Amino acid sequence: MTTKLFGEPVRRREDVRLTTGRGRYLDDIGHTALAAAFVRSPHAHARIVDIDVEAALDVEGLVAIYTYEDLTGRMAEPLPVLIPHPQLHAPRTGYPLANGVVRHVGEPVAMVVATDRYIAEDVCDRIVVTYDELPVVVGVDAAVAAAATVHDDVPDNVSAHHLQETGDVEAALRGAENTLSFTQYVERSASTPMEGKGVHARWDADDKSLRVYSSTQASTSVRAAIAAKLELSLDRVEVIAPDVGGGFGVKIVHPWPEELLVPMAAIALGQEVKWSEDRREHFISAAHERQQKQEITVGFDDDGRITALDAHIWHDNGAYTPYGIIIPIITATQLVGPYVIPVYRARVESMYTNTVIVTPYRGAGRPQACYAMERTMDRIADKLGLDRAEVRRRNLIQPDQFPYDQQLIFQDGRPVIYDSGNYQGLLEKLTALVGWDDVAGLRADAESRGRLLGAGMALYVEGTGPGPYEGGHVQVLGSGKVLVSTGLTSQGQGHETAFAQIVATELGVPIEDVEVTTGDTRRFGYAVGTFASRAAVMSGNAIALAARGVREKALRIAADVLEADATDLEIDEGVVQVKGTPGTGVPLRTLAVLSNPLRYAFDEAAQQATQFAGPGDASLPPVAVGDAPGLEHIDYYSPVRSTFASGAHAVIVEIDPATWEIEIVKYAVVHDCGTMINPMIVEGQVHGGVAQGVGGALYERMAYDADGQLQNASFMDFLMPYASEVPAVVIDHQVTKSPLNPLGIKGAGEAGVIPGTAAIASAIEDATGRRIASMPISPTELYDLMRDENAERTARGTGVLT
Amino acid sequence: MNLDGGAVLHADPEKVWSVITDPAVLARTIPGCESLEQVGDDSYKMQVSVGVGAIRGSYAGEVRLSDKEHPTSYVMHASGAGAPGNVRATVTIGLAPTGEGTALTYSADAVVGGPVAGVGQRMMTGVAKRMAGQFFKAIDDELTGAVVRIAAAPSAEVRGVETAPAEAPRVFAGNAAAQPSLSPDVQTVLLGVGIGGLLTALGVALGYLLGRRR
Repeated sequence: MTTKLFGEPVRRREDVRLTTGRGRYLDDIGHTALAAAFVRSPHAHARIVDIDVEAALDVEGLVAIYTYEDLTGRMAEPLPVLIPHPQLHAPRTGYPLANGVVRHVGEPVAMVVATDRYIAEDVCDRIVVTYDELPVVVGVDAAVAAAATVHDDVPDNVSAHHLQETGDVEAALRGAENTLSFTQYVERSASTPMEGKGVHARWDADDKSLRVYSSTQASTSVRAAIAAKLELSLDRVEVIAPDVGGGFGVKIVHPWPEELLVPMAAIALGQEVKWSEDRREHFISAAHERQQKQEITVGFDDDGRITALDAHIWHDNGAYTPYGIIIPIITATQLVGPYVIPVYRARVESMYTNTVIVTPYRGAGRPQACYAMERTMDRIADKLGLDRAEVRRRNLIQPDQFPYDQQLIFQDGRPVIYDSGNYQGLLEKLTALVGWDDVAGLRADAESRGRLLGAGMALYVEGTGPGPYEGGHVQVLGSGKVLVSTGLTSQGQGHETAFAQIVATELGVPIEDVEVTTGDTRRFGYAVGTFASRAAVMSGNAIALAARGVREKALRIAADVLEADATDLEIDEGVVQVKGTPGTGVPLRTLAVLSNPLRYAFDEAAQQATQFAGPGDASLPPVAVGDAPGLEHIDYYSPVRSTFASGAHAVIVEIDPATWEIEIVKYAVVHDCGTMINPMIVEGQVHGGVAQGVGGALYERMAYDADGQLQNASFMDFLMPYASEVPAVVIDHQVTKSPLNPLGIKGAGEAGVIPGTAAIASAIEDATGRRIASMPISPTELYDLMRDENAERTARGTGVLT
Repeated sequence: MNLDGGAVLHADPEKVWSVITDPAVLARTIPGCESLEQVGDDSYKMQVSVGVGAIRGSYAGEVRLSDKEHPTSYVMHASGAGAPGNVRATVTIGLAPTGEGTALTYSADAVVGGPVAGVGQRMMTGVAKRMAGQFFKAIDDELTGAVVRIAAAPSAEVRGVETAPAEAPRVFAGNAAAQPSLSPDVQTVLLGVGIGGLLTALGVALGYLLGRRR
């Protein structure tokens, strides 16, 4: 039977299209459109004195130039704070085009529209903007010092004081048998999708309607934002996410200035306008994440069990806070990981700096949280002379403690209650998979080859699938084709395959008959978006429920036709039949025709269906009260709270003591995302996540200088791991179903990236005996650390060659 | 909304007045002017060719002068329409004696419609400023005789163009209608667009747009 595909490693149906150049990305749309380009601030903080376009007027092909003065009505207001929060006491957002002051390099100042992009760029070059430079704040330490401010009316540079606490942590720390405190840093990195952002807009002046394509993770919300900002009725605006070449979080932010300005220009000029972000633009004007300073104090008993944990974190939120304090909340709530923390407090100061905005990048505050917690575990182990796996084991939440309430409030405003999990199982599988107990032997072998070897591990719990809802629509056509749509978008996750597997299985149809559409407001108007590892959990369950609705209706119609009881029927290979009696049935496509009493015989299916159509009861309406024509169903899934996935990574590194090159020789992952729709897709997600985790730990950083200039804003200068740096990943799965949703699934999209920095820092520390308290770390930095007489050494002090 | 500006012209107000209200002079000083036809007392039709971005196109316009206070002020009512859109403007022009000659000031109020209204006010202001600057420079060159010197050097054809209007007193050919062989210098002077009032009015879209806002 080929229709029961749920849980099978079905090859991704979209890959042939995407890997043979038949994808349709934003820049593939609108060949004849006018092109937009932007004049962006070259200064991190400055007042705009003058914008002189005189020299640009002679450029042949120039169509229009817009500055803040051209913005009218709601466009002239600051961009929205998408997610307000009572603790975000000083939210600030920019304008679509700078209004007198620029606060980071890359902030848009003017938009040029021309007959093509080359000309638009030439015009940008000739627009002379005169700036009066202002003092610049770069990095959390400078933000805290507040010698200069990013916003005049925020004198301490603090946008939010976020607090989560479960008891009197200071009293608990005073009563602890042991305490230790430390400070550590994480640098910036960024989503850096292969395809940058992009927007294409077309205004139909006769129909008074706007169609916008955007490379977004949230087409329904972009639609609502455009309608509100351009003061159009929602029904006059449609937004479509075409194929999207990666998002990783940056494209969930909306509306980006360009998502409003490009449609504005299309309407003003009555012509199609398109903008595709270039790589430098993406570096300096999209979004980054990750930079934090963390001060941790932990209390623990002599067995290494934590009694209290106090985390004080300074989070760099960049120049504006359009996405609120989601990252601080996630860091604060996910820091506790898979552990019992009797008394916990997290304070996060969200700091303004004159750098590009900080919004979620795959992991969204969790890599930093994991880094804080897991490095705490490493330090406790070092202090007590215990094995790092053993310290973790002693602190784990036990399998019989679920559901486990961490007494915290998550990003969705709901309690952090771990719905299910088996963290012991993860740890045991991990130590076996990586060979944790054999590390001493490996170390000796490496030393014999003149290399340092170390191992590290990190565990995490990840809240996934936050609400409030997603919906699904499933419709069987008379052709037998099954149309599936959901409002959230796809950026390469394999939704066309995974959602089709769900429908094929629920409905009993061949997967070849199923067509999935995502992120198109013409097909589905209500959606939240693709972020927070939520697509499979949210839309997967909604689509399953919708398919079940279609199945129920199909069986009801078939029962009538076959004069059987619906409970005696099954659907197999797209045919409804009496259970176990092949050849007696009626095809779904026929039922689809029968579901509509208006049956013009346009096609063969309709003609065939007439043989099943009964005379009907002349005393009743052709469509019964409460029924509807068509074999289709819409349903929604709305969870009471997030479901918590978990996992454990271990890594073994070898270091060359001449060059201090760090090589990952083994990377092991044990992953638990509940029921898997498609294990091949899950493993693909893990692989990609691990690659980004390795990048964040060893290579990627945003090299802002003290003037707020991003010095590595290109792929020439921004170091990222290549295939040669990403290790082969060994994966083991554990399946702990979620009790919260019908399919028992948990999210898997972000998991792979979360523990990388923590595990790799631990492994380097293990190899070198030097405390690693700032990540990422380069060979040069490691070289300097090894030669620093004052560098802190671990108690165990393993493996230092001289 | 108003757009205000001015220029210093190197002749006394009386001379400036006579030049600036002389259709033959206007026809050859308005950047981009293809023709200027007198249709009544102080009333003209004209054809102006404009060449920047979406403002590009040929505009048919009308200009009427009123409230003439010789030689200190008058009001120009200009309107124009072309493929890119339409403009309607009222421009008050004042002349005052200074040590150098005459300080000309203008104050314009305009409404811009059609696609041209969507190109952004800095671009329209930039175009209008440039056109006004070219217009007043051309007027000043008339007043100081610079035109003659430029024209004299390269060829007689340029002079021929300038004297052409004498053949048809009611229709004044503009320099934009001139046939080939203009020297590069002359072309530069003539590069811009339309009549001071109409073209300034384009820039006055600033006022229009500011008025639309909020």
